[in-house]
Amino acid sequence: MYDLPHARSDVINSDCKISARNVQLYYGDNHAIKDVTANIADKTVTAFIGPSGCGKSTFLRCINRMNDTIDNARMEGTILLDGEDIYDSKVDPVQLRARVGMVFQKPNPFPKSIYDNVAYGPKIHGMVRNRSELDELVERALRRGAIWDELKDRLDEPGTGLSGGQQQRLCIARAIATEPEVLLMDEPCSALDPIATAQIEELIDELRQNYSVVIVTHSMQQAARVSQKTAFFHLGNLVEYADTGQIFTNPQDPRTESYITGRIG
Amino acid sequence: MTDANFTDKDIPNPRSLTKTERRTKRRKAAEKRFRAYGLTAILAGLTFLVILVYSIILNGLPAFQRTVVSIEFTLSAEQFKEAEAALLKTRVYSNYFITSFTDTVNGLGLSSEISSDSIDRIVGKIGGTLRKFYRNNQDKVGQPITFDLPASSLVERYFKETFSRESISESNRFIRAEDLDLVDALADAGIIRQEFNWLFITGVDTGVDNPGGAGIGAAVLGSFMMMTVVLILSLPVGVAASIYLEEFAPKNWFTDFIEINISNLAAVPSIVFGILGLAVFIQFMHFPQSAPLVGGMVLTLMTLPTIIISTRASLKAVPPSIRDAALAVGASKMQAVFHHVLPLAMPGILTGTIIGLAQALGETAPLLLIGMVGFVARYPETILGGFEGPNSALPAQIFNWASRSDAVFVEKAWGGIIILLIFLLSMNIVAVLLRRRFERRW
Ligand SMILES: Nc1ncnc2c1ncn2[C@@H]1O[C@H](COP(=O)(O)OP(=O)(O)OP(=O)(O)O)[C@@H](O)[C@H]1O
Ligand SMILES: [Mg+2]
Repeated sequence: MYDLPHARSDVINSDCKISARNVQLYYGDNHAIKDVTANIADKTVTAFIGPSGCGKSTFLRCINRMNDTIDNARMEGTILLDGEDIYDSKVDPVQLRARVGMVFQKPNPFPKSIYDNVAYGPKIHGMVRNRSELDELVERALRRGAIWDELKDRLDEPGTGLSGGQQQRLCIARAIATEPEVLLMDEPCSALDPIATAQIEELIDELRQNYSVVIVTHSMQQAARVSQKTAFFHLGNLVEYADTGQIFTNPQDPRTESYITGRIG
Repeated sequence: MTDANFTDKDIPNPRSLTKTERRTKRRKAAEKRFRAYGLTAILAGLTFLVILVYSIILNGLPAFQRTVVSIEFTLSAEQFKEAEAALLKTRVYSNYFITSFTDTVNGLGLSSEISSDSIDRIVGKIGGTLRKFYRNNQDKVGQPITFDLPASSLVERYFKETFSRESISESNRFIRAEDLDLVDALADAGIIRQEFNWLFITGVDTGVDNPGGAGIGAAVLGSFMMMTVVLILSLPVGVAASIYLEEFAPKNWFTDFIEINISNLAAVPSIVFGILGLAVFIQFMHFPQSAPLVGGMVLTLMTLPTIIISTRASLKAVPPSIRDAALAVGASKMQAVFHHVLPLAMPGILTGTIIGLAQALGETAPLLLIGMVGFVARYPETILGGFEGPNSALPAQIFNWASRSDAVFVEKAWGGIIILLIFLLSMNIVAVLLRRRFERRW
């Protein structure tokens, strides 16, 4: 039912989870995000597409305030999560990030065991009372991350010793272990084979039942397969944001059209 | 496919893999030269190391060996009473001893007469030692006791072959040729023997009249106490300061200023810290002089910049993606640092700490200024009291011995260097073990 065409992106409606208003982001003098206004709906998969360097990752990091950690990054504008300004001075970014999880573009497992990688989030948030609950939670997260069968006998091994694709799935498992309301995924399938990709896409579809998922991808097919809404970024601008079907069949902006038909990018 | 008319010989493949190109040849030559330079440098370094270690061991090992004259002697109850009643008590003890010793020697069929001067020259003045022993152990009166008396400096050196018969002149008051004859005979009879010099390790400094009995134990204890103070003060402060500066402090002109100052402090000569310690800790704050506590505080000032610089470097070396990962699952900044960044930086921090401690251990100049080179001839009575009482330190003791005239003391200085190096080596081993432990955790 959420696949219905939304009239305009700047209309706040009841199922809007995240609402970005006039977001500007500067890295020093580099204006990386230019006046982006967008609503991200709840229980929906939103895909960000666009050429390399256009600001997809940057915008994603704005949503859980990961840009706070970059010294020369400066943000303007507001981003609301459930109607609350996440950049408000009273907001604790730690609480925000517990609700808005993130999978990074480059896999970054902790140099600890596979088990500890997944268990870390639930442990610090006090989500479990005892070891057996934690074991269960870790298994569930790894299963959903499509990696349990491969790793169930190697949980003590360091997460950094896995292959790139395995690390990526481990990071996905780690991100969903804390049960975030919004999951931001920055090219989660870039190093995965078709089978694992299909499993992750299944996971994304499953997460959509309860959560809001934002996925950055360079694969048009993937965007078309998993997302209901698609946003096209170009040189820091949000060029077009509409239902996925519309973007891929009837793009309004010539830049969108040339990108999805493979003429720019 | 190649034309049938051509064989491989006619048109050689211009880029055959088996034929070396000129550029490749040049690159190879450059690489070879570079390796040769490196190898030469390492060989030169190794040579110097071997020479250094060889000369230290050669000069220092004799300090771990000592020459003792072990003589059985019995003091009867009447003799004890008589001696204690006499006016020159030690002289009486001495006479008894000489009589008994002469009997022993004659029993071996050696020399007919031994003068008391000769005994003095071989084992030093014996009367005082005997009197002290019997007064403290009156139950031993009347029993045969074997005394292990340290040989005098020249006899000791005679056995270590750093002193020869030929260098004795007629006017030498300390040794005569006939003493050496007697000493040789006693050595053959097993009365004079060589043994491991435990006293050197456990003992304390002695005056110039007894160089053979001087030991480095008190100085080792002093150094150990100072290192404890340095570790307790500098590790937590240094690591906390680095974590704050690296992870939490805003980057502005003030933190830049602090950073520059820390780097500069690391390069300040240690004697400056010494004079600072003298002025601030002793003259202004009235801490006791010559105490390991103050020494440790001065060395802490010296060690802190080293620890801070290496800790910051190893914190910086932790990839930022690890911090991102921790923050993204909802860890606070503090949790990210203590759960993920710090363990990763730990090996580097430990290395820096050990380097700082090793530097502090060998530092002499600041100790001179706060008076830790004094003559300390006893152990502290209590451990805590030892921190604020006067004590010596390894390098200061070595310096002190090396500047004394008796060659036995100089030999002990070399021996002290061996102890110092063993100290350093064990610190490094501890660091390696700790590092292993931290690395194995992931
Ligand atoms: N930490 C940073 N410091 C300075 N500039 C940055 C930083 N991260 C990104 N940028 C700049 O911001 C712009 C957008 O980068 P971003 O990483 O958001 O691109 P992207 O759309 O995710 O590209 P890709 O598809 O290649 O991942 C680029 O011009 C980049 O150079
Ligand atoms: Mg990116």
